[in-house]
Amino acid sequence: MAITLEHYLVVGALLLTIGLFGILLNRRNVIIILMSVELMLLSVNVNLIAFSTELGDLTGQIFALLILTVAAAEAAIGLAILVVFFRNRGNIEIEDINSMKG
Amino acid sequence: MFDFLIEKAIVFLPLIAAIITGFADKRLGDRNAQLLTSGTMVLAALLSVWLFVQVGLNHKDAYVVPLFTWFASGDFAASWALRIDTLTAVMLVVVTVVSSIVHIYSAGYMADDKSIPRFQAYLSLFTFAMLMLVTADNLIQLFFGWEGVGLSSYLLIGFWYHKPSANAAAMKAFIVNRVGDFGFALGIFGAFLLTGSVAFSGETGVLEIARHVDADNPLPGILGMSFDTSIIVVTALLFMGAMGKSAQFLLHTWLPDAMEGPTPVSALIHAATMVTAGVFMVARLSPLFELAPLVLDFVTVIGALTAIFAATVGLTQFDIKRVIAYSTCSQLGYMFFAAGVGAYDAAVFHLMTHAFFKALLFLGAGSVIHAMHHEQDMRKMGGIWRKVPVTYAYMWIGSLALAGIGIPFLFGPAGFGFAGFYSKDAILEAAHAAHTLTGNFAFWAGITAAFLTAFYSGRLIFLTFHGETRADKHTFDHAHESPLVMVGPLVILAIGAVLAGGVAYPWFMEGGHHGYGDAGKHMKQATDGATFWAGSVVKDHDLIDKMHASAAWVKILPLVMAVSGLGLSAIFYLLMPNVPKQIAKTFAPIDIFFRRKWFFDEIYDFLFVRPIQSFGRFLWKAGDGSIIDRFGPNGVAGASQLLARFFSSMQTGYIYHYGFVMVAGLVAIITLFLFGSGFAGQLLSGGN
Amino acid sequence: MNSNFSDIAVILPELLLAVMGMALLIWGAFRGNRDFHVITLTAAALMFAAAAVAIVSPTGGGFNNLFVNDAFSRFCKVVIFGAGGVSALMAVTFSSDTFRRFEMPVLMIYAATGLSIMVSAQDLMTVYLGIELSSLSAYVLAAMRRDNLRASEAGLKYFILGALSSVILLYGMSLVYGYTGGTSFEAVAAGIGGDASFGLIIGLVFLIAGLAFKISAAPFHMWTPDVYQGAPTPITAFLATASKMGAFALVIRVMMEPFADITAEWRQIVILLAIVSMVWGSLAAMWQTNIKRMMAYSSIGHMGFALVGVAAGSEAGVTGCLVYLATYVVMNLGAFALILSMKRAGRPVESITDLAGLSRNRLPMALALLVVFFSMAGIPPLAGFFGKFLVFTAAVEAGFWWLAVIGLVTSVLSAFYYIRIIKIAFFDEPTDDGEFDAADVSLRAVYGLSAVFLLLFIAFVRFVVDWASASASVFA
Repeated sequence: MAITLEHYLVVGALLLTIGLFGILLNRRNVIIILMSVELMLLSVNVNLIAFSTELGDLTGQIFALLILTVAAAEAAIGLAILVVFFRNRGNIEIEDINSMKG
Repeated sequence: MFDFLIEKAIVFLPLIAAIITGFADKRLGDRNAQLLTSGTMVLAALLSVWLFVQVGLNHKDAYVVPLFTWFASGDFAASWALRIDTLTAVMLVVVTVVSSIVHIYSAGYMADDKSIPRFQAYLSLFTFAMLMLVTADNLIQLFFGWEGVGLSSYLLIGFWYHKPSANAAAMKAFIVNRVGDFGFALGIFGAFLLTGSVAFSGETGVLEIARHVDADNPLPGILGMSFDTSIIVVTALLFMGAMGKSAQFLLHTWLPDAMEGPTPVSALIHAATMVTAGVFMVARLSPLFELAPLVLDFVTVIGALTAIFAATVGLTQFDIKRVIAYSTCSQLGYMFFAAGVGAYDAAVFHLMTHAFFKALLFLGAGSVIHAMHHEQDMRKMGGIWRKVPVTYAYMWIGSLALAGIGIPFLFGPAGFGFAGFYSKDAILEAAHAAHTLTGNFAFWAGITAAFLTAFYSGRLIFLTFHGETRADKHTFDHAHESPLVMVGPLVILAIGAVLAGGVAYPWFMEGGHHGYGDAGKHMKQATDGATFWAGSVVKDHDLIDKMHASAAWVKILPLVMAVSGLGLSAIFYLLMPNVPKQIAKTFAPIDIFFRRKWFFDEIYDFLFVRPIQSFGRFLWKAGDGSIIDRFGPNGVAGASQLLARFFSSMQTGYIYHYGFVMVAGLVAIITLFLFGSGFAGQLLSGGN
Repeated sequence: MNSNFSDIAVILPELLLAVMGMALLIWGAFRGNRDFHVITLTAAALMFAAAAVAIVSPTGGGFNNLFVNDAFSRFCKVVIFGAGGVSALMAVTFSSDTFRRFEMPVLMIYAATGLSIMVSAQDLMTVYLGIELSSLSAYVLAAMRRDNLRASEAGLKYFILGALSSVILLYGMSLVYGYTGGTSFEAVAAGIGGDASFGLIIGLVFLIAGLAFKISAAPFHMWTPDVYQGAPTPITAFLATASKMGAFALVIRVMMEPFADITAEWRQIVILLAIVSMVWGSLAAMWQTNIKRMMAYSSIGHMGFALVGVAAGSEAGVTGCLVYLATYVVMNLGAFALILSMKRAGRPVESITDLAGLSRNRLPMALALLVVFFSMAGIPPLAGFFGKFLVFTAAVEAGFWWLAVIGLVTSVLSAFYYIRIIKIAFFDEPTDDGEFDAADVSLRAVYGLSAVFLLLFIAFVRFVVDWASASASVFA
């Protein structure tokens, strides 16, 4: 069976969905959310590179590299904020992040 | 900006004064407020006289001072502009002169009042509105002035707002005027539909179009009516506005009540501004009215009825200001039937002379009231003429002018006499000369009213100034002549009441095919372009010819009526003070009928006020309360409160809920695209 | 790939901010928070300077068509830098008695730089980098008060949801890239060729959803109230003004440039977002007690109104949007200056009822509040009216009269809570807590000038509209 563009796209979509569920269903730990976000970013990269190969166009791969770079910065900032939050709250339970609502 | 500075100054000086005085109020100080408003007013009056000489006497062509475009929408355009022609110039002089005297007089009359700046500001605002009205170059600006006058009259009549009766009177004036204004507004819409314009001047203006319409080339009618019907409807509606503003029969009820305002206000409203607006409007739109003879007949009848009706009521009133108020009403009736028979010039002429003597009478009455410590009831006056000799003289001059005393055929065909003599005679001659059914009715009504006018004028003088005093001793002993600031300016009005008629007669009543009188002769061949009126009102030259040719008795009869009226009142109230009471007792039903103003207030109360009140209560309780409020505001408020709670509760504070809402939104939008051919999809992709 | 001077010329304002931001960072690193005031004032001055540079900077494309400086981006940059500068000014006073972190102005500069890159983007990659530069700075800014639970919670929520929205946006971009064969706007437009494939539509939906998060259009707005409430008020002001302006300008550019040929498709999404935002923003704000939270819902509603102009899909619509956003920015700066002035005994208060009796204690402040909130309610002749009028007119002209009707109804609803604030300030009895402290002169200047601007807007409305329509003509 030849692996076509559709297969890659389906993998990408699956990764995205898994990541989404990781955010929506996970009620415990913020770290898992950060991981889910990384996963979803990877799904985007899969898409971009698959399209890039299909189209014979390098732009998609450049875009993927940019995303990887930014994702690293994003993770750093996210973890930093999480540390700040932990200092104030004492834990990182998602259920506890609701001092503001309404 | 700086061209036509004089015209702009006349109109806007009062506004500027009103704004400064009104907003600075107490900070400005009483004296400064009086100086500012009176000063600007006097300046405006002097400029107006100059303008009158230019336009009226030196025959400068009519012109328009453009200010700026107000709004333009499609075919409909209205701009702010000052139209200066003879009619406007006459009105400007009348308004500004009377107004400046009222301004100065108020300084004395209102000396004890707590809010003098406010009063002066209202007076100036009132004058400004009236000036906007008379200088209007289109119906919309006319309407602006019209409503501005209505607003300021409300403010002024209700000036003593702590008096419930003053508030009620202010509201009554406003509401009764609304009835007329409603018709007037509809009339303006109609005039626009009919002619496609609201402007006065120019080839495409209402007036010019109306001048060129006749049976051979009519305009298309409006709303499916023929042209004849359309013009009747339009002018009748316009006249309805005039009836309200000028307190004509059926819509007159507000005017006597308006006496609740301070006396200078009464003088301003009744002599120069507001009530004359209706007459002015009919004269201004005379080309339009000329196209609807049926409406002119109606105008004549209403005017004649008002003249006689108000005079009968005036006979029985004891409040000194109310007597004069009804006399105003009656004199306005004269003006309208003059207009109705086509003698617009005579109508405006009477408007002008009336302004002088009526302002004099009112301000004189104010002086009496001032002297009697704010007593207005004539039954509690009497015998004070020695104490207030100057006022007494003024009141005589005003009354004689009002009664129209003069000697026909002396010093020329026009005769010689007080101001009212010339104008009233001209009106009666015109009514007689019209030779129509309504004209004759108006003539005889006018003759009767002339008798009644003279009678109640005499009654007023004798009850107030002569006989044994009926005032309490304290009041009588302290009665005193008013200060110079009050009686001084009245000299001008007194001179006007004596001379205005004789001087202005040749100007106002010129024309005709044959010329008339020494003054008229040299204008025999004059065309419209070089005459006094210069076409600013329609002149019926045939009518003027007929007037000049009218029989001698037509001229003599009014005088006979006036003299006998005065004489009879002298007998009744000077020589045999018991007779009037006796007569009142004998003819009690008639006396009550007159005294209660023909039961108009009661009839209106029964016909309109009560049913509308109960209908309103029904709508309020049943309609508004239990239907509209329940499902409308309260319902919407309740529903939005519920929704607000719902949306608030969506905001749980949990990240995964927030994320879920986002993803749900995303899914919803994608779903819309997948299955989005339904109604919502159609709607959303609709448009252009 | 050869850059030359003309490339540099088109990024002058961004370059100025980026380089000087570094310099400030180094300055701060050596001098620490002692120089906080000077650094913040310098940052404000830099942003005003950048606004001035944006006006005069030469137009044209650069960097192989990744970036463009045109009339539209100039207009937006002036507003963004102006709003950023004013927010930085407000930060000076805010921080003096609570906390001082020199990183705050530096990050504001970088956030503004990111926004500025967004509005000039000509390529999806530029869009992404601009968004991330501004967002990453904004996350940190929101959590700037490290010792404050609410601030760090706001930062965390903002970060997580922001990351989620970035992913959604990127996923959309990847599909758009795949189905059009390029990432530059030009290539995308060429690839669409007037016909929308299903994959492209899905990509478009994801893309718009990602952008909608940045302008906090419902239902992608959920972060807004919490972040507005938790973040330090000057940062909230920055997010409500500069951020919104930049993100909204990006929405306009993306809709009107690469996707101009499939207006019928994206219009449906935009209309939906507009309706939901207007309704949600108006209703949820009604019973808020915290004034910053209320401002969040208010800005959601405002974004809905502005989206009506985008939905029109015409030059007139864009003009309306720009005027709307410019006045919106001024109103919000005024409102947040007022909120910052709500202090008792050195402690900020944020409850709406704290305004009770304001007119008796601090009349000038109450009058400014009157003007600002009447303008927000869109009452003529104040500035807020004209924006609404222009966008609704544009919608009616495009045939969406019913959308304008919904807009009118919801703006009446929203008038309720704006006027409620005025009512509380003018008619309610003052509480026993005493009057507010005297506000800092810079705050007074901000709300005073904003009120004057809103009052006198009618005098120069013609000028602003002309400028906005000249900017909108880029999309002709």
